[in-house]
Amino acid sequence: MKRSNIAFWVGAAVFLVAIFVMTQVVGNQYPFFAGYVILQFIALAVAWSILGGYAGYVNFGTSAFFGVGVYTAVFLTKAFEAPLLVQIVTAAVIGALMGFALGLLTLRMQGIFFSIATIALTIIIETTVMNWRFVGGAAGIQIARPPATPPFDNYVQMLFFVQALLVVLAVAISRYIQNSWIGRGLQALKDDELAAECTGVPTLRLKLLACVISGALLCAIGAPSAMYLQFANPDSAFNLNYSVSTLAMSLIGGTSHWSGPIIGAILLGTTQQLLTVTISSEVNVLVLGIMLVLFVVGAPEGIIGLVRKLRGNRKEGGT
Amino acid sequence: MSKRDSKSGSISRRRLLATASAGAALAASPLGINLLHAQQPPIRIGMSMPQTGGLAGGGKPSLLGIEIWRDDVNAKGGLLGGRKIELVVYDDKSSASETPAIYSKLIDVDKVDLLFAPYATVPTAPIMPLVKQRGLLLIGNFSFQVNSKVGHDMWFNNAPWGPPDSWASSFLDIGQKAGGKSMALLAADQEFAQNLAKTAREVAAKRNLPVVFDQAYPPNTVEFSSIIRALKAAKPDIVYVASYPPDSAGILRAVNEIGVGDNVKLFGGGMVGLQFGTVMENLGSLLNGVVNYNSWLPEKSMYFDGTKDFFEKYTKRAIEAKVDPLGYYLAPFGYASGQLVEQAINATKSLDQKGLAKYLRENTHKTIVGPIAFSADGERKETAVLQAQFRGVVDKNIEQFRSSGKQVILFPENLKSGELVAPFEAARK
Repeated sequence: MKRSNIAFWVGAAVFLVAIFVMTQVVGNQYPFFAGYVILQFIALAVAWSILGGYAGYVNFGTSAFFGVGVYTAVFLTKAFEAPLLVQIVTAAVIGALMGFALGLLTLRMQGIFFSIATIALTIIIETTVMNWRFVGGAAGIQIARPPATPPFDNYVQMLFFVQALLVVLAVAISRYIQNSWIGRGLQALKDDELAAECTGVPTLRLKLLACVISGALLCAIGAPSAMYLQFANPDSAFNLNYSVSTLAMSLIGGTSHWSGPIIGAILLGTTQQLLTVTISSEVNVLVLGIMLVLFVVGAPEGIIGLVRKLRGNRKEGGT
Repeated sequence: MSKRDSKSGSISRRRLLATASAGAALAASPLGINLLHAQQPPIRIGMSMPQTGGLAGGGKPSLLGIEIWRDDVNAKGGLLGGRKIELVVYDDKSSASETPAIYSKLIDVDKVDLLFAPYATVPTAPIMPLVKQRGLLLIGNFSFQVNSKVGHDMWFNNAPWGPPDSWASSFLDIGQKAGGKSMALLAADQEFAQNLAKTAREVAAKRNLPVVFDQAYPPNTVEFSSIIRALKAAKPDIVYVASYPPDSAGILRAVNEIGVGDNVKLFGGGMVGLQFGTVMENLGSLLNGVVNYNSWLPEKSMYFDGTKDFFEKYTKRAIEAKVDPLGYYLAPFGYASGQLVEQAINATKSLDQKGLAKYLRENTHKTIVGPIAFSADGERKETAVLQAQFRGVVDKNIEQFRSSGKQVILFPENLKSGELVAPFEAARK
């Protein structure tokens, strides 16, 4: 256990150093633009699977949390010209509160009803923002970036690094939850909530905790997006695509282990970025659709599940 | 063996000589010059275009217009003494979040020579700061007031918008001339419609024109009867509608059933969708009487040098490409974008972005959509947004819109092709 802990943190440190070196060495801007989007999806998928994967509460409201993150940043920039760190932290706090409210919903709703309620959440918040003129309303708003903070000489490189930090934070939290009593409790309530409650698992407390953590992360990940685009409009910020992609990435990767969403997000995110600049047409969307169908049919437990199954088979064959 | 070797060697040497001399002769001949020129690197123009998602219906015809321009220029032998035009196009899925990465790829990896913006405001907005920071020329494509806050001096919009308030003022001019003394405003809660509504309110306030009804509705509303009833009860003289394709249809259906009252002199203004062939075909006679904005119409005053040729080519290629069969709204402006850079490159004889921008800013350019001159903010100096009234439209016939007289141009003065028929209820018949 300890050895794996050390390995994880060394890996995370190597990853961050590599990202940092990249921002200092690579002159071409494209890797940062494309990489930012991929990192963002990795973080989203990991944060989503804390509630959706471990607890089995399928949240379609990723775009609601993401959009609130974006608009928190827009509001803070416009009202106070707040720095990026303040934007992210505030977004996390608001996301935690939203997550708490969502957690209370789980008292009354489970399964598909909970999922529908989360879609409703997106629509309600989007409509509210659409009618809020201060942050641009339906017309959207253009915001200007401040100069980048040294040692970064370019804002996109800085955002790329910040997003990498958020990825590490999300993965560390997700990994901690999986390996602790929280993860075991969530696993129990995912299998059978009533049985878990009867055996003494504090289900409500665990669900609230999962919602708060997942919500805070999703919102925090959305915040830097405002500065990445330098533009926000409700259509883009609350785009259902965030919910669908995040869900697809987690499911394709596998939700039973913290590394599943990472694998799924890297695979799907990279494919999306590559397809955008290679096969540039409806084929792009079609390929993603086919990939989803193939995985749902061929590997219902995601890549992680598939690998485990293959390993299991090999062991059986060996003995 | 050795003999044969030497023999074959001598033959090959002779052959080499012959080939070389033939090559030299070819290079000196006119054909050879053409071949050499063909080897010059192409001029690459990069852009993203919405080819899937909500804006694809506009993005595809726009791209076809640009492609027709490319083929015309290449058929004439290219630019800068034989360099062919090559387009590098990616699909932005109608989304603002896709364009920064795409334009970064176009600039840093593909290293294109020139940039065109995607169709519409939302995908364009995030790339404005990027091109400003890099000091690059960008030809805009029907986005609305996207440069007003950024202030990039190398931005040139192909759209006929002109000054931001001209859109509302031209419509209200027509209404006030017809005796309108009050206005109602009905606008979708979406980016473009809200921008229009905002300028309409400002213009009305300047002119002391009372706004007796001001209603925004959520996107994707389909049932408008209660809204139209409330509007009718307010008894406005001018009704300014800023709507999107699905709701434009819903509003016109509700108006057809309920009516808007005899007071109304003028109805329409900013209804998106009524420019597209299939939407017009579906609405048919419901369109009669509506005065709406447009960018190009098949009226006599709208034909300039090359316009007719363009539409002949477009009509043929639109069938293959499965895009809007009429293509009046965006396609000729895509072609005009090409003509703008073509003239700038020919005049400056270079691809220097600053030089091209200077030329575009200081001159008037001949295009198939008429002469274009830019003001300091990169928008048209004068508005060329048409306000036209639908007349004598019958149901289920797309071909009728190819003939003149179905959409009579009321504004601007120099392109006018008829007078307003008012009140609205009379014009509907």
